[in-house]
Amino acid sequence: MSGDGNLLEVTGLQVHFPIKQGIVFDRTVGHVRAVDGVDLSVARGQTYGLVGESGCGKSTLGRALLRLEEPTAGSVIFDGVDVRALKPEPLRQLRRRMQMVFQDPLSSLNPRQSVESLLVEPLSVHGLSAQDAEEYGRDSAKAHLAKAAAMLEVVGLPRSALSRYPHEFSGGQRQRIGIARAMVLNPDLVIADEPVSALDVSVQAQVINLLEDLQELLGLTYLVIAHDLAVVRHISDTVGVMYLGRLVEEAPSDDLYERPLHPYTIALMSAIPIPDPEVEDHRERILLRGDLPSPANPPSGCRFHTRCPYRQPTRCDTEVPELRVIPTLGEGRRVACHWAEEIAAGTVGVADPDLVVEPVR
Amino acid sequence: MSDATLTKGRLRAAVDREQNLLEVDNLSVTFARKGSRPVHAVDGVSFEVRPGQVVGIVGESGSGKSVTSLAVMGLLPSRGVTTTGQIRYRGTDLLGAGAKTLNDLRGREIAMVFQDPMSSLNPVVPVGVQVTEVLLRHSDVSRAEAKAEAEELLRRCGIPDPRRRLKEYPHQMSGGMRQRALIAIALACKPALLICDEPTTALDVTIQAQVLELLKELVADLDTAMIMITHDLGVVAGLCDFVNVMYSGRVVESASRQELFAHPRHRYTEGLLASIPRLDSPRGEPLRPIRGTPRDVISWSQACAFAPRCDHADDACATPDLALLVDGPGDHRMRCVHPAPLPGAEPDPPADVTGGAKR
Repeated sequence: MSGDGNLLEVTGLQVHFPIKQGIVFDRTVGHVRAVDGVDLSVARGQTYGLVGESGCGKSTLGRALLRLEEPTAGSVIFDGVDVRALKPEPLRQLRRRMQMVFQDPLSSLNPRQSVESLLVEPLSVHGLSAQDAEEYGRDSAKAHLAKAAAMLEVVGLPRSALSRYPHEFSGGQRQRIGIARAMVLNPDLVIADEPVSALDVSVQAQVINLLEDLQELLGLTYLVIAHDLAVVRHISDTVGVMYLGRLVEEAPSDDLYERPLHPYTIALMSAIPIPDPEVEDHRERILLRGDLPSPANPPSGCRFHTRCPYRQPTRCDTEVPELRVIPTLGEGRRVACHWAEEIAAGTVGVADPDLVVEPVR
Repeated sequence: MSDATLTKGRLRAAVDREQNLLEVDNLSVTFARKGSRPVHAVDGVSFEVRPGQVVGIVGESGSGKSVTSLAVMGLLPSRGVTTTGQIRYRGTDLLGAGAKTLNDLRGREIAMVFQDPMSSLNPVVPVGVQVTEVLLRHSDVSRAEAKAEAEELLRRCGIPDPRRRLKEYPHQMSGGMRQRALIAIALACKPALLICDEPTTALDVTIQAQVLELLKELVADLDTAMIMITHDLGVVAGLCDFVNVMYSGRVVESASRQELFAHPRHRYTEGLLASIPRLDSPRGEPLRPIRGTPRDVISWSQACAFAPRCDHADDACATPDLALLVDGPGDHRMRCVHPAPLPGAEPDPPADVTGGAKR
């Protein structure tokens, strides 16, 4: 399995949360389909970016891959191992190879643990990795401390930070500690859930660059989850766009920007403000109407059809579009839209002129 | 213009197009608590807003942009806060004005949209009541008229089925819808000045695009001037006529939006532009972050506050109280000893040499 270059293979993954009602009987009256049938694969050493708006299920998907959230169906194959079939102890052992960086470093780091304690904890649970054991010697408090201090330096914090507590650091520094904690075990896969969105603009770039440097240094595979397409595009090799629990488009990151195929991606792209007045004034923008529908009761057919500016009278509201490969529109691209070819060719356009914002001048 | 013309009458007085609508002059806000050093959140900020103009205030957290807007609205607490300078709204000094004058102005002449629509709407009062409240307070309309007007306002702000929505409570609406309701409340009396404090930060991008488009339309229709406070340079690029960049309580650069983005002069503005990943920039180009954090500042009274993070800082930067100098076309001002060079000032690339070699 490991030979084909994919570190992570996900097929038909579903995470449904039951909606319970009643006091005595606690009946299940429905399900929130947070993740509803996602297929994706992440190649070794690459970065897969997952982008979508709040409520689209991207964070749940990331957590489900590590079984921090129990998937309800589908399979997750990590380096040839079926993660869903693992018993608790083998799963615990596997977790040393797949780690997570959380969004809000203030709430994901225990305020009463010093940085030293935070960084040594994963090591005392899992032990040093084989590679580190060669460098720092057998598992011992001293070896763990040496590794923790070395890791801290790698993420750009001084050794003196070891004895301090999370509240003594700024947001960017705290995120560095969170990253160090995830990387201290030498994992293969790191899932970063909104790693920069809680940070100041000028600090975001530092953390993005750090993540890129670490990937090069440690040979990591990333799954980066974010709502900011500009950030995701910057660091990812492949980008998957999620809408209401499903992937609607997947493409190499440059192709996605050059030529978005799915109507949702097109609208998402045109909604992102670009810090350049020249570009802003000259581009045509497509607005979406309304809000995200409830994932407890997703629309029939294509889930995007209620808000789609390109909606057609047939198929859209009855037939569920498959995430399909369209060879004529470029390699390595998958899109879940019945009309992708027609939209790309320009034969299907935006029906409602109110949704198109013409360039100013 | 006297106070009486401002505060009486049903609608706001007609705006004199020649006069500045708002003039903020040397505004300083200091938070002082017993036993701790006073914090200069805003430190001598001056800017003006002309009628119908959209002015942006850009800065990171802690730059004093929100405090500036609260000072203009007179919403800062009175205890422990010292506000000096002048805020003149159509000739009236708001800092010296009494509570009654301010209450008559707020909502009718100057309105504000806050960042978080959940915490700025009252959760136990239906949205309709919160909209009609403004109308009843500032104009002589009956309850029924106000209700009809509120319905029209919500419709204008893009809320579907407004009659039903009027009866609903804020928690029954989505984030985007709540922000639209907040905009409806702010624009109920067709104010001459609208202050938006990060109006779209809590929203998703597609909803942000809807809300920004709505604001743009409404402001143009009502001929309302707007102060847009944001940390997002992208929002500023598409919206504002004039931009003020703030750092550590002071305006470090101000220019028209075209000028600012084409020729950023202050090293902070330049650094900010280089550090954000752009959707349209080629991939693989590393970002050039500004080192340190916004908290690594020195007091302006000693040196340039940005110097600890600046790559071009030297001894000359240790000048106390650097002046905001006019520099370049379109009222471009900046506060920097070593500004980024203008494109024309750069040494010519050796293009002639290769041209000569070919010949």
